[in-house]
Amino acid sequence: MNRFASAITAFALAILAMGAAPVAAQQATPAVTLEGLVKLEKTIEENGKQKVVLEEPKVVVPGDKLLFTTRYRNAGTQPVDNFVVTNPVPDAVRVADESALREQVSVDGGKSWGRLADLTVKGEDGNPRPATATDITHIRWTVPVIAPGASGMVEYHAIVR
Amino acid sequence: MKNARTPLVLGALAATAIGSTQASAAGVTAGTLIQNTASASYGSGSATTTVSSNTVTIRVDELLDVAVSALDAGSVTLADTAVLSYRVTNSGNGNEAFAINVSPTVSGNGFDAAVQTIAIDTNDNGIYEPGIDTVITNGGSTAELAPDAAARIFVIVALPGGTADASASQVRVTAQALTGSGTPGTSFAGQGQGGGDAVVGATTANANALGALLASSASVTLTKSFAILDPFGGAKPVPGATVTFTIQAAASGSGTVSDLRVTDVIPAGTTYVANSLTLEGAALSDAADSDAGTASASGIDVAIGALPGGNSRTVTFKTTIN
Repeated sequence: MNRFASAITAFALAILAMGAAPVAAQQATPAVTLEGLVKLEKTIEENGKQKVVLEEPKVVVPGDKLLFTTRYRNAGTQPVDNFVVTNPVPDAVRVADESALREQVSVDGGKSWGRLADLTVKGEDGNPRPATATDITHIRWTVPVIAPGASGMVEYHAIVR
Repeated sequence: MKNARTPLVLGALAATAIGSTQASAAGVTAGTLIQNTASASYGSGSATTTVSSNTVTIRVDELLDVAVSALDAGSVTLADTAVLSYRVTNSGNGNEAFAINVSPTVSGNGFDAAVQTIAIDTNDNGIYEPGIDTVITNGGSTAELAPDAAARIFVIVALPGGTADASASQVRVTAQALTGSGTPGTSFAGQGQGGGDAVVGATTANANALGALLASSASVTLTKSFAILDPFGGAKPVPGATVTFTIQAAASGSGTVSDLRVTDVIPAGTTYVANSLTLEGAALSDAADSDAGTASASGIDVAIGALPGGNSRTVTFKTTIN
């Protein structure tokens, strides 16, 4: 199973690279750069109050909460529009409720999108059932316009399965 | 073990996770890499461009957790020896071996059983098989158990002599992760499966369970009486009178007395009447032979053997007063 998964991984990454290559060839330096980050979210108690702190993820175990951030920046001289950031959700995590309910998500590998509440998946009995946060395969954000020099970020909370 | 997702989306997801995607009850397997990459598409003039972010990678560390349960329904009767069964489950997310400690000393015990053998049910058939199941020393460890996997532990105990019938006892089996245990959150750098750290989970990586025993023993009460028959048909202890001694051995309790033997000496001033020894009314020869008794001028000796509680045996012999 492991070897099989690895083979698929290599194949999928290759496709990704091939898909990106022609575009990169046309435009030597893409105007927009993306930077991915991850932090570990810890809830600590301070003076009797619960407080969330972000830490470098040195030790991560099932049940831990992660914050995946993607920073974007338009380094070009032209505005960009229809900016859509798509993030496949790693298999080993599930999207936390606060992100699952807020963002545009997909439960079918990125083919169709919507609010989680409007999506269904095939249940174990073969009939559709309402999708839950654990069914999310992809999450995405849309930014209408990024002005030249402007930057921003999108993020989602996830829990290690 | 079950897959974290439906097969429908496995192909698409494989691109985002390397390593095992199997999730145990405790979560994703230790050493799994979580890799996150975002991509973006956008318009610029008439062209559409796609860019990818760098990939961030996190390795899942090993959570050390264990559960122990006693498998016997109710108390196990302990007459001579008994087998107690326990299950040790690796509730962590990495392969882990566990040290097994057995303690027969538990607060509230009516007696403390003698631990004879600790064995792991190697073929997992639920039956203790000497010579097949792996014997470990107290404090020895199980083989490495995969996440969610369990080992059945047998503890063979013996009833200490003199234990009162129907007294109760408990035997504690404790399992402790070999990598380490302690306060939840304690971490052992670099000792996790897959090269990460090992972190103690909510169970403290140390768990125990109690198996219950109920002693089944028996005790013996001896009652001796005598009857005199004098030469004149009376009951006076005069020379020439015959004294018939009766010894009743009565076993009580739910268990069985083993190797019961009744012996008595011939009282001074009397002489044993040859071939007068009986057991349950049946004559026993004086000689040491195939029957249960021997007798001589000095005394009698009757081997009764096993006697279950609630039963009794009666031995008689005769002497004459000198």
